[in-house]
This record gives sequence, structure tokens and C-alpha cells, in this order.
Amino acid sequence: MKEHKVDCKEVMNHICENLGEDLDSPRCVSIKEHLNSCESCQKYFKSVDTTITFYKEYNVTLSNDAHIKLLNVLGLSEED
Amino acid sequence: MSSNLTEEKKLIEDAQKGSKPALAKLVKTYEQTVYNFAFKICRNKDKAEHTMQETFLSMVKSISQFSGKSKLSTWLYTVVSNHCLMLARSNNKHSAFSLDDEEFGANEVPVSDWKVKPEKVTENNELKKVLDEAIEKLPADYRIVFLLRDVEGLSTDETAEIVELSVPAVKSRLHRARAFLRNQLNEKFQYERT
Repeated sequence: MKEHKVDCKEVMNHICENLGEDLDSPRCVSIKEHLNSCESCQKYFKSVDTTITFYKEYNVTLSNDAHIKLLNVLGLSEED
Repeated sequence: MSSNLTEEKKLIEDAQKGSKPALAKLVKTYEQTVYNFAFKICRNKDKAEHTMQETFLSMVKSISQFSGKSKLSTWLYTVVSNHCLMLARSNNKHSAFSLDDEEFGANEVPVSDWKVKPEKVTENNELKKVLDEAIEKLPADYRIVFLLRDVEGLSTDETAEIVELSVPAVKSRLHRARAFLRNQLNEKFQYERT
């Protein structure tokens, strides 16, 4: 099989394109091999993953007042 | 079918027959998800509350026409997304900005470690401000794809259905949104200690 050489920029773009997808094409295998041996790309991968985690962890909770207001707007009540 | 989905199907059928308790149960099941998702798009609690109200008003009005072909949650995500997109377009804030024109590629070598940790988000208002500012720069149609796919954890197919785009178009927007947000945060987090 012809070896597919990849560079850091290709790996970083691949990370953004395919994060979370389990791909095993020859290109993906080359990407994974590069990632295992390149500290810069590992840090880039971590920073993209952390970006997503930041937005996952940043949540807001609906107040009880807003909940009651919503039911009122809809003509519903807690007893329904 | 899981018991939760069976229970939800029964609630929808009862709501379609005019049952207020069934409607109230559906609202209570999804209000937190809808509010949180609306906030993540709008980054504003008042707008999120308004969007949540509009979404459930729409649900109450249209529940009789709900066919059950897709999940109720998918339908609610669609209503929230459309409402927020409409708001964003009426504000016209990002009309001149497109990521298609943006140099967002990753060519920074060496890459630095970040000095902040995600678990700090809940108690750190300064960090929240940075996250708000970064995502507010992202056009709403890209923001919604990123939030649906990466933050809410929907599949690429479900995301494509909600935003009415092809799967390759969703992947392209997701790629650009991830790179854009990562680069925005990298500017802030590379050296700062938060």
C-alpha cells in the first residue's frame, strides 16, 4: 500500500473535520500515526476538544419564576 | 422502543386529544433543554426565556399536526433554531461576515497549552464572558450547527434535518465553527491564567 504522508496542517484540519467520528481509512490511519508522534498536533487536538467541553459545561438553569411564567403563558398550571 | 419513548408517544397522543396534564408533562420534560439551548444560541437569558415561550406556544398550537416521524426533541430544536436565526437576521449583526471568507485554518506550530480548565466554567464569570464573546462572533447558522452537533450531541443526520442542510454542508460548517472557536479561545487562553 502506498504510504500517505501527512503534515501538521492537514492533521489539524482533519481534527476539526472529523472529531468524534471513528474513521479507519488509510488517510485516517496516517493521521492517527502522526498524531501519536507529534506534540504540537496533540496539543491542538486537546485544545479543540477542550473548546467543545467548555461550551458543553457552560449551562444555565431555568428559574422557578420563569417556569411558572411559562405555564401561565401556555394556559397551564402545576396541577395539570 | 424504550419505555421513555413509549411514555412520550402516549403523552403526545393524549395532548393531541386535548389533555392539559399531558401537555404540561411534555412542557416540564423539555423546558430546561429548550431554555438552555436557546441561551446557548442567544447568549442572553431574557431572549432565551422569550424563545422558550415562543417554542412551547408553537408546540401547543401545532401538537395536533405532529406526526411523530421525528422525535419531539428534534422538532423543538428546529423551532428554537429557526426562531433564533430569525432574531439574528433581524438584528443583522453578522450579515457582512462569513466564515467562507475567513482564514480559519490551523497552521500554528508549535501550539501552546491552555492555562484554563473546563471544570472552572460554572464558577468563573470572566471565563463565561470570554466564551460568550467568542461564540457571539460566530455567525448564527454556524453557531447552531456547532451547538446541535457538538454541545447537544445530536448526530450529523439529525443536525442536517434540523438546519435543512445536506450532511456534507453540516460537516463543513462544523469544521469551520470548531476551528474558528478554537482559534478565538486560543488567543485568550494561551498565556492567561484564569
